[in-house]
This record gives sequence, C-alpha cells and structure tokens, in this order.
Amino acid sequence: MSGKQFFVERYAQIGWKFKEPQFKLSIRINQINAKAKKIPERLRSLGVELEKVPFLQAGYWVIKSKASAGATAEYLLGMYSIQEAAAQIPATIFTALHSKMVLDACAAPGGKTVQLADLMENSGHIVALDVNKERLGVMANHLERCHISNTVVYSLDARQATKLNRMFDRILLDVPCSGNFASDSEWFSRRTFADVERNAKVQQEILAEAVKCLAPNGEIVYSTCSLEPEEDELNMDWAVKNLGLQVQKIDCLGADGLTEVFGRKLDPQVAFCKRIWPEVTQGFFVAKLKKVGAK
Amino acid sequence: MRQCEVFASRFGCMVAFNSELVVEKAQRYYLLNPRLKKILQLDYYYAGLYLGKVKNGMFFPSFNLLNMLVSVAANKIVVDQKAAWLFICGRDVFRAGIVKVMGSKRKGDATLVLNEFGECLGFGKILDDLGDSNERVAVKNVLDVGDFLRRETRDRF
Repeated sequence: MSGKQFFVERYAQIGWKFKEPQFKLSIRINQINAKAKKIPERLRSLGVELEKVPFLQAGYWVIKSKASAGATAEYLLGMYSIQEAAAQIPATIFTALHSKMVLDACAAPGGKTVQLADLMENSGHIVALDVNKERLGVMANHLERCHISNTVVYSLDARQATKLNRMFDRILLDVPCSGNFASDSEWFSRRTFADVERNAKVQQEILAEAVKCLAPNGEIVYSTCSLEPEEDELNMDWAVKNLGLQVQKIDCLGADGLTEVFGRKLDPQVAFCKRIWPEVTQGFFVAKLKKVGAK
Repeated sequence: MRQCEVFASRFGCMVAFNSELVVEKAQRYYLLNPRLKKILQLDYYYAGLYLGKVKNGMFFPSFNLLNMLVSVAANKIVVDQKAAWLFICGRDVFRAGIVKVMGSKRKGDATLVLNEFGECLGFGKILDDLGDSNERVAVKNVLDVGDFLRRETRDRF
C-alpha cells in the first residue's frame, strides 16, 4: 500500500482533490530581536520583497529575492527565521504563554522553540526535547542566533518526558510524522502506509506520555505535517477516548477536522481540529487539547 | 566565569557574571536566569544563554556574549554597508569601509565590528593603526555572524 495513486485516492475519499501546491518561502519576524527595526523595509533595500501572510501575526511570504533570505545580516542577527507559513501556526494556538512553563517535546531543529520563546518574550521557561544529535546541534545554533535565554534542551525521547519530574502549563507536540508530498518531491515513492501506521503509534505513545506531564488547566497543542488521518484526526479521536482529553475550538487557517474517516465515525469534537491541505502553505494539521475536568 | 571576563577585558571593558548562574558543560558556558537554574538537571544539552566555549585552551565567545559587550565595550568600529557584507562573508575590514572608530586604535587590540545600525557583526583584531588613512586591511576578521552558516557544515555542536 504505497505510491502516488494509493495516497491520492485516499485524499479523494476524505474530500480533497489532489493538486500541486503553490506555496512560497516564508519567514517569521522574531519580535524580541526586531523591535522597531523595520525588517521588511531593510530586506526590501536588499532586494527581498515580502508580502504579509494574512493569517499570521509575524509571518511574511518572500515574493521576490535577489539575496538569499537565509544569508542576510538580518537573518544572521536573529531578527527573523525561515519558517513555513503553516508551521508558524501551532505555537500561536496556545492561550497566554507569558511566564509559563512550556514543554516542546519534539523540538529539533528548533524553529517552533524559538517562536515559543519569542511569543513568551524570553519569560518563563521552555524545556525542549529531541533525540537526534545532529538536529540538536542545529537547534543549539538556532537558539544562539536568535538570542534565546529561557530554554533548556535535553537529549531525551518525548516518550520519556516524565523522567523530567516536571509538570508543564503548555506542551507542544509537533510530533515526528510521515510528512507530505508538498515539502518532499520524492514523498510518494518513499512513503508506505506501514510508515504511516508506525508513526501513528509513536504519536499515540508521545501523547500518552505528555498527558502525564500536563499541569492542571494545562494545554497541549498537537501538530503534524502529515495529511494522513491516522496521524491526525484518528489520533485525536483516540486521545479523546483513551486519555481523557478534550479538543478545544481554535481559530486559525484550515478546514474543520474530519469526523468521518473511511466510513468510521469519530467523536464530534474532532471537528475542532484544523486540517490544512497543501495549497498556499504546505499541508498541516493542528489541534488544541485539554484534560477533561480542567476549567 | 573567568574566561568571559578576560575576553571582555580585551575590548577595554569589565564584565562580571554571577558565578551561581553560570554553568559549564563539556567546556561550554551558559548563563541562566534564577528560575531556569532551579529546574536545570545535570544531563542538559544546552541551557539559557550560551556564552562561549573553551577548546584547546582557547576561549571562543558566542554571539550572545559579543552582543552583551556592545553597550559596555570601549573598542568598537562601525563599518559601512559594503564592508559589513564583506565582513559577514569572512573578509577583513579595510580602512576605507570604517565609518567610525571608538576606543583603541592600537595595533593588536581587539575591537567589536558593528554595522551602521549599531548591531554587532563580530569582532576582529586591529592590524594597522586605525588613525592612519591608508587603504590597507585595518581589522582582521576573527569571528563574524556568517559563522552560523559555516559551522553547520564545518563542525557539529
């Protein structure tokens, strides 16, 4: 069970007709480093034309560029990061991040960690976990470049997060996933349904561990860049039924989560999730979860 | 932390860190805030604000540390846009690209290199008397922010 036809037929079954995505390179202004620095104007003077992403507070599409957006002085000084537009959404879904204790459980290479720190204005603290040594090195560089000061990084599997003996107010689970064809031209030839099933299982294990570290009234934001319902809505349905989590309403780009998948009816609250098909952004899925009984 | 303080003194300034808030792991130094210090466990990979590392007995500052020095360092030069671009590409600074010199102009001293916005691009070593108006290399590039691009292929953290 693999190949372009197999996956495209699955997308058709859940209501999306395949088309090639048209998304552009996007950046996110790091507000704490770029205060009053007029970054769009500075980049324009270098031949980098930006357009504000309408659904993001600090996101811009790069419309035209004479210079590499990843090699300007402004980039190297941490005033902005290169971050896909849809990938900028999960960190903005949390309620009131300032001064909170935050867990970024699958953090490397650190794009969302830096975004969280920026939204927190370096207040509170972030515990960032990952196990990939090479990506941890990239994350360390990213944290230094953006002058992040409220983060501790551990080389630890998200499925062992309880080893930290900490409870967190906010937990970001940007879980390892199968990805999608929009960001990987070889995706259809590389991925099989067995990969999807394996990833979905790991994601459930990560969710189960995260719930144990969630403080009362805490929030989990779950996201993937997978389009496969097994890693998205079906996992949310599983979390509602097995982990005592509630899906919260969110206001962001995307279609409502599917509540019927391949003939299987899901809990109605799964509709509160957002599914972003690859069109103006890469494909993405995001959901906000709270423990049942929490206010 | 002694190495940071000695390094800062090369720019004609004195800095002092609260030793209780500076931690060292694998010869890398990090500055923590008190809240972070409380939750830090021994097996961390990276923590707080990275200050620099010691390798083969030499101190290599982070860009966080250089940024901290901007407001207190005596030795600074401001370079024009072209010189700034060349500097972050790893090139030395020619006298013609220097807009302003603050602090030492003495050969052999260290100086921060700032762009026209006052942002720190790195630091260098004064090679020639900066009071001289010739066209020779005036400041040798020791470290510049372009290193973020180079280090990911050159070495692993």
